[in-house]
Amino acid sequence: MEIRPILSALMRSKVALVLIGLQIALTLAIVCNALFIVSQRLQLMSRDSGMNEADTFTIGSLGFGAGFNIKTSIEEDMAMLRSLPGVAAAAPTNTVPLSNGGWSTGVSLKPEQKTSTASSAMYFVDEQGLDTFGAKLAEGRFFTADEITFREPGDNSWPPVTVITRALANKLFPGESAVGKQLYFDNEGAPQTVVGVVERMQVPWIGFASDEGPDAEFYSSFVPQRVAFGNFGRYLVRAEPGRRDEVMKAAEAKMTQTNQSRIVREPRTLERIRAEGYQEHRAMTIILIGVIVALLAVTALGIVGMASFWVTQRTKQIGTRRALGATRSSILRYFMTENFLITSLGLALGIVLTYGLNYWLMANYEAQRLPLIYLGGGMIALLLLGQAAVFGPATRASRVPPAVATRSV
Amino acid sequence: MFTYYLQLGFHSLKRNPLLTALMIFGIALGIGTSMTSLSVFYLMGSDPIPWKSDKLHAVQLDNWSKEEPYRTPNEPPDQVTYLEAKALMEAGKADLQAAMYKVVWPLQPDNAEIKPFSSLGRATFKDFFAMFEPPFKYGNPWDAAQDNEHARVTVVSSALNEKLFGGQDSTGKKVRLNEIEYTIVGVLDKWQPRVKYYDLTNGAFNDSEEYYVPFTTAIELQTRPSGNNSCWESSKPGWDGYLASDCVWIQFWVQLNSQAREDEYMAFLNNYVNEQKKLGRFARPLNNRLPDVNEWIEAQGVVSGDAQIQVGLSFAFLIVCLVNTIGLLLAKFMRKSSEIGLRRALGATRGQLFTQHLVEAGVIGISGGLIGLVLTWLGLMAVRGLYADLYNVARLDWVMVLTAIGLSITAAVLAGLFPTWKACQITPAVQLKTQ
Amino acid sequence: MLKMNHLSKVYRTHLIETHALRDFSIHVREGEFVAVTGPSGSGKTTFLNIAGLLEEFSGGEFWVDGVDVRGMNDDQRSRLRNEKIGFIFQGFNLIPDLNLFDNVDVPLRYRGFSAADRKRRIEETLSRVGLASRMKHYPAELSGGQQQRVAIARALAGSPRLLLADEPTGNLDSLMARGVMELLEEINRQGTTIIMVTHDPELAARAQRNVHVIDGQVTDFDAEPQLRVPAGNDAAVALA
Repeated sequence: MEIRPILSALMRSKVALVLIGLQIALTLAIVCNALFIVSQRLQLMSRDSGMNEADTFTIGSLGFGAGFNIKTSIEEDMAMLRSLPGVAAAAPTNTVPLSNGGWSTGVSLKPEQKTSTASSAMYFVDEQGLDTFGAKLAEGRFFTADEITFREPGDNSWPPVTVITRALANKLFPGESAVGKQLYFDNEGAPQTVVGVVERMQVPWIGFASDEGPDAEFYSSFVPQRVAFGNFGRYLVRAEPGRRDEVMKAAEAKMTQTNQSRIVREPRTLERIRAEGYQEHRAMTIILIGVIVALLAVTALGIVGMASFWVTQRTKQIGTRRALGATRSSILRYFMTENFLITSLGLALGIVLTYGLNYWLMANYEAQRLPLIYLGGGMIALLLLGQAAVFGPATRASRVPPAVATRSV
Repeated sequence: MFTYYLQLGFHSLKRNPLLTALMIFGIALGIGTSMTSLSVFYLMGSDPIPWKSDKLHAVQLDNWSKEEPYRTPNEPPDQVTYLEAKALMEAGKADLQAAMYKVVWPLQPDNAEIKPFSSLGRATFKDFFAMFEPPFKYGNPWDAAQDNEHARVTVVSSALNEKLFGGQDSTGKKVRLNEIEYTIVGVLDKWQPRVKYYDLTNGAFNDSEEYYVPFTTAIELQTRPSGNNSCWESSKPGWDGYLASDCVWIQFWVQLNSQAREDEYMAFLNNYVNEQKKLGRFARPLNNRLPDVNEWIEAQGVVSGDAQIQVGLSFAFLIVCLVNTIGLLLAKFMRKSSEIGLRRALGATRGQLFTQHLVEAGVIGISGGLIGLVLTWLGLMAVRGLYADLYNVARLDWVMVLTAIGLSITAAVLAGLFPTWKACQITPAVQLKTQ
Repeated sequence: MLKMNHLSKVYRTHLIETHALRDFSIHVREGEFVAVTGPSGSGKTTFLNIAGLLEEFSGGEFWVDGVDVRGMNDDQRSRLRNEKIGFIFQGFNLIPDLNLFDNVDVPLRYRGFSAADRKRRIEETLSRVGLASRMKHYPAELSGGQQQRVAIARALAGSPRLLLADEPTGNLDSLMARGVMELLEEINRQGTTIIMVTHDPELAARAQRNVHVIDGQVTDFDAEPQLRVPAGNDAAVALA
């Protein structure tokens, strides 16, 4: 409606305009970038690890001294765990996805290859590994019981067969089936034949080998070996649905009981491992959401405060306008339009600040370019926020009686 | 006069309680947010041993593969091999030196009431104690002879001593680790560096160790490291093959008391690597480094990108809060312009009015700052809840408390300065004439 | 033009009830220049506010230009005010953030005239009060007399049938006051009905008709020359 006179009146109080504009601009910049980071973290955390996380837990033991026989200990524990009521499957493993600890190695396609083709996380499991992880076999087969060996300490050779993830298969053998192909976990040793491909299995480390591409976090290989690190052995157990916690208690008690010359490590559910693995990202998400909410609250309250002041300051003026024939709704519209203009000016500056901040994040923290949708969404949200915030004071303004005009002082 | 200004300030603030609350709340929120992130950031990155951080140096030698660096663009490994650890210890060219690695052993207490538990230790040399200066409560470090003899001796933490011996002087007593008995020679007092700078590879914010044993003893017992082990080629089979490999798994620290000593030591390292090159090792170009503690913390990225982003965003948030307060104060002071004009007419000087309004702004700032300090404390509690391993860095220390107070007063004065100046520009005549 | 019959206005707070106007009757004919006088607190301003549709009244009848005002809602009254009534205030009530052009423009905007029409009217009325050359100036840059001329221009721009002036010279020195008075008389000669509230008997004497308000009741010297004794003894609240 009457944009030009509102604008020229606004230009008479430049300082206030600059202050609110700056506030809106900074708010837009922070909110857009923070929301973008939040959504990226949420996306990161929502990725499927490829394993059954609801029913599984790990449990481990640390034996005492040089006399401890870890090999038989693993065999006994496996037999015990597999026979435990409520256990759907169990397998020894060196690590699990997201646990932030494990073994990785370079994979080559040719012997004596100078630099490896891809990095891969190694999961040492037995024939029940696939079932215990709850992974889905895409092609070929998993290991058979007779393929499983025990990896002696200090042994650096690799068994002749392996199962790899589809992501790794695509990287190593793009466009063809990996089953039957050969690769080298040790470029000076014997080759391994790929006997199967699993759909998906995340590596233990978040952000693993990020220079090898976005899929590198799913470059995993299974090795048909039971492995111990010193006297430390670890197992993965998958309980029947709904029985995890009960099985976990039973397994811990039984392991403590069966062999006294060791410490049984506290079992950890995969849910807990996931929560700890993503702790940093979850924390960042929560902190940023907190900042966004606080920021919007401060900005909205700031607008309410300023607008209230202006209404009070201009009471006489409002009365005069009413006396000159303004209806209540045109007074309301005046203040809403005024806020719309101020917000828009702030947003114009905000676009520059938003991309400035985004540029700073890209230059220093491997951030990505902010998609336009965030900017658009942020601008609309702030316009609405401004309108909502000014609505109260504007309504108050519209209730100023016209008789105020004839009041002296 | 000051009390009069204070009275006026409080009176004026009381007249608009909501608005006053809004301004104080704004400053408090801004201070709370920025101080929380700044505290974490500061304690993560701050010097953990300021009195000698420039004398302590991590040793980095580039024994990595000819084909690719340990880390791009051309970073040497952050740990050293056993071969180098042994050679450098034997050469003993630094003022103090210690190789070390992380071990996890089952600890089997004599006291049957305490169940065996897995415990964190560090295999190192006697110089560890002289270099990193953990305080001793009882006893002493072991000596050079015990390092040489692979003695079964240990220094235990105060927490372990508390747990096993109820905090008594336990020197001379035994502790059983992985079936081997060690004689306690020293008991530490409470010691928890905020950042575990001597082993950043295995977690910058991990707890400090429960015990320390001679490196030579752990090697004799064929103890593999519980921390990170990185290899660019497979080692030969067996324990001896592992020791002879190019795998890196040992942290190596030296103390060099002057720049001259540092130069000498670097020359020694370069010389050592060149000798090794003749033997067919160290295929990469000479790339030895001796970062001091702060350089090491920086190079190992202890202060996470997230923490930096949080500081950046929270200070931007503080600016928003300040701009908000400036706007509100300005509006408030301008509304009082007739009162200001009247006071001017009644003989107040510009300076007096300036002081009066600055006092009012200051009251807002200081209250905001104090509440902000409480919010900071709450914020740090929240950070501890969100990041389990930031327990040691998410705390308020005196530097941060003073910074917070300084920041809030500066912020408030800055926020109050412009509106105050603006208000004092009002000429008495104009204000009295209209209305 | 304006007709009030037995009009009353009662202000109520939770403690007291004040009769600002009681049984107030007046008839202003088209083209008249009426001065309303009376002591402070007599109800002059209340009369003006009701006449200008700024306030509602409690009882009685009231027509403006033949339109019955009773029962009108706020928006209807706003529109009627905008179309038929021009206002001149004691304190000028110019909007300090707008220049003269935009100040005069304010009622025209609400009227919904086209841009060209508005521009023509603004320029015309500003030149009529002799300030056409200062259109881009802001109120603070003008003298009091000039400001009141702008306010008059603003009141006239919408071609109202009735001009209400509330102590139009109250804030001016005598020289400026005379100028403003002459302008009002000139406007009246051209056909606009004017009701002017003032406490200055000298100014009132220049009007065609004087109406005296005492204690909320009207004493029309011209129509009913005899003085009525006010009945009752209500608490007089300062309403001026």
